[in-house]
Amino acid sequence: MVLAGGRSSRMGSPKSALEWYGSTLLRRTVSIVARAIAGPVVVVRAPGQELPDLPPDTEIRQDPYEGRGPLQGIAVGLAALAERADVAFICSTDLPFLHPAFIHAVLGAVGPDVDVALPVARGYPQPLAAAYRTSLAPLVESLLAADRLRPAFLFEKCRVVRLDDAALRTDPQVAALDPDLDSVVNVNEPGEYEVARARPEPAVTVECFGSAAGRRGSGPHAVRAATLARAAAAISLSLDRHVLAALNGEQITRDDHLPLTAGDTVAFISSDAGG
Amino acid sequence: MPGGYFGRALLVDVTGGRASSLALPEPVLRGYLGGAGLGTWLLHRLAPARVDPLAPEAPLAFVFSPLVGTPLTTSAKFAVVAKSPLTGMLNDALASSHFAISGKLTGHDAIVVRGRCARPSVLLVDGAGARLVDAADVWGLPAADAERELVARLGRGWRVAAIGPAGERGVRYATLSHDGRHAGRGGLGAVLGAKNVKAVAVHAATKVAPADPAAVLAAARDLRARSFGPATAKYRELGTLANLLTFNAINTLPTRNFTAATFAEAPRLAAEDLAEMRRVARNSCASCTIGCEHVYRAGGGKSARVEYENVFALGPLCGVSDPDAVLTASARCDELGIDTISAGGTVAWAMECAERGLLDAPWLRFGDGAALLRALDEIGRRDGLGALLAEGSRRAAAVVGRGSAGFALQVKGLELPGYEPRTLQAMALGLAVNARGADHNRSGAYEADLSGDLDRFAGGEAHVRATVETEDRAAVMDSLILCKFLRGVFTDPFAEWAGLLRTVTGWDVDATELQATARRIVLAKRMFNLREGWTPADDWLPARLLEEPLTLRSGRVASLSPATLRAMVDGYWAARGLDRDGRPTSECAVDLLLTEAVAT
Repeated sequence: MVLAGGRSSRMGSPKSALEWYGSTLLRRTVSIVARAIAGPVVVVRAPGQELPDLPPDTEIRQDPYEGRGPLQGIAVGLAALAERADVAFICSTDLPFLHPAFIHAVLGAVGPDVDVALPVARGYPQPLAAAYRTSLAPLVESLLAADRLRPAFLFEKCRVVRLDDAALRTDPQVAALDPDLDSVVNVNEPGEYEVARARPEPAVTVECFGSAAGRRGSGPHAVRAATLARAAAAISLSLDRHVLAALNGEQITRDDHLPLTAGDTVAFISSDAGG
Repeated sequence: MPGGYFGRALLVDVTGGRASSLALPEPVLRGYLGGAGLGTWLLHRLAPARVDPLAPEAPLAFVFSPLVGTPLTTSAKFAVVAKSPLTGMLNDALASSHFAISGKLTGHDAIVVRGRCARPSVLLVDGAGARLVDAADVWGLPAADAERELVARLGRGWRVAAIGPAGERGVRYATLSHDGRHAGRGGLGAVLGAKNVKAVAVHAATKVAPADPAAVLAAARDLRARSFGPATAKYRELGTLANLLTFNAINTLPTRNFTAATFAEAPRLAAEDLAEMRRVARNSCASCTIGCEHVYRAGGGKSARVEYENVFALGPLCGVSDPDAVLTASARCDELGIDTISAGGTVAWAMECAERGLLDAPWLRFGDGAALLRALDEIGRRDGLGALLAEGSRRAAAVVGRGSAGFALQVKGLELPGYEPRTLQAMALGLAVNARGADHNRSGAYEADLSGDLDRFAGGEAHVRATVETEDRAAVMDSLILCKFLRGVFTDPFAEWAGLLRTVTGWDVDATELQATARRIVLAKRMFNLREGWTPADDWLPARLLEEPLTLRSGRVASLSPATLRAMVDGYWAARGLDRDGRPTSECAVDLLLTEAVAT
């Protein structure tokens, strides 16, 4: 679940629409969450809020109230997911370095006796990069009804496991691919956005097979690319209808905007695979 | 008579050497086109119900098509259609090149062989009709050698389709070959061998004109130009073997009898390296501008035509990574005249049986190239373990028992091609429901899995739609006939195919009619199978694929549950207008034209 309804007052423009390597910050976050989980992805927006283009399977829910903080959005999202999932990863829009390995690790920490897995990363609790049992929905509603709008009030009333930096890094994938826990770095002001945007793109591996290999060879090619289109461009490959990509050997895609993260392997293949 | 047709089939009873002509009414030609479609209609009409596929009265049909003989690229193809001795159901297999053109220009849209010769013979068909000649001196030869010998003996212009030693000995997945191309699947070579016919030789004797020669020529020029584009580049540059590394990268390469979907040693067998180190030639079928045939140097000074399917089946599927062993095994299959996919699938099953102690064959182990070659030789001779393995994995598993059927990777008796169903779940459905059995040419549903348009790990309604659509497209391409390697150049396939058919035949056929034709052909195949004893349990996958999850390279687990497959099969049956037991209902609303009057 991605909460998109924040006011972005310090940023001065909607964070969901911030440009991110030819796409938007919200689209990146939604796609990263979709990569990490097996279930639906829900975006909760503010009343009347316009959203940028999102992947076609994204579900959009509207927060009935504006300005009541993240617990209101969490309530909407948990209600939307209660029938279909036991646990939801909930995050804000503005996490430009969110990594699927981090999401896996946080979700994996929700054991049978846990309601919330709350990262306490880089010195701060991260309620908007955390995992929640969907059965908490009634409790959240009751807190909202009592005007107790901060996530901390929820944590007082349920079973929370807190994951500090060391605990998060016990996950080998997190340790290898997100060692500085950049997943929780958020951007609230233009300056922070500029700094984030100036960072090197993630280091990924590109392989090419069949006709996609051509003169460039099959690789592997080590490149830096934030999206599928950037990876293709890095090896001077035209992403036309004759080329498809497989991310980490799994889903096949031709989504130019598909965000990449550190450690990804992209295989470009002929669209006429088989035969 | 419409352009492109003669309107008759030649029926040859090789028992007494008699031939007759079967008139093919225009509604039948228009309703089934040719190739696999027309062959299906002929089998309905000519095969006695529940006939033993290896009995004299079982027909074997060489079926041509309206586009054969035109300059349209890839149109020089023919279908061989019979009841399969491997599956007991309808089987059609395509082969290519000059036999298609000369066979049609004997003046027939099909040549049907029935009966059994008293001694090994060759059937000759030319302008003078049909006759038999003695085949004693070519009996026992590999198909290619027999073909070469017969062409030398018969003279210029004769084209020969022949079987190898495996066909003579009734190996249930024996092939029938012409010019190195094989009507490979389902044991058609055994059907011809059971008739004591080593080969069929044809010589062109007449001509047939298209309805609009100028329009056909223009269409041929256009198609030729498009055939040089990026949609066919893969076939030109590396051939289908380019799939090997691709499939390995995307967890789709069946390995060690489908216990894994990646093969660590796949790069040793990759087209990219073989092409650089071993390629000796690239060839085309007659009338083809793609040129997909890549010939590589094999062991012992031999060469082998290499496709993805034979390298997959004789390599990763058997755990063999030595390119010399795999290419030699491929060449050996050609010499013996056996289908590489069924051979590899059956040997892989036997390797697993041997490693589990279910077969007394301690020499047979995954990864052992010498053992693979020994097994193939024994199959070809039907001696030792080969007597069992020549029956195919389904029959062999029935003999061995002890749970071995669960890892005999076949559907309806036909061994699976190199597409992992747990990571290609539209293809899983296509393999389960196809009339021919586990087959990638009559069901190209993997196209949908690899399109990025659906989740290939989670079968559902979209996968059902894709399976129906790709099966329909294959039914038309296999009946026109056009090579499927050309499919990527068509952006509006049914409309474009209807356009080609209009110029050749003069019919006012359109895309809608061709889509109905596709449904008719698919349904007619199913109706034939029903007549021959198909049951709902035949539209299903082996237990391994439904009970054993696959761990992918990323650590993700891929599985295909029985409930998911059940829902997809039920959805497919409903989409085809079949009832809940997969049998036709009145809602099928397709006239199969099976009662069309014919004259002989």
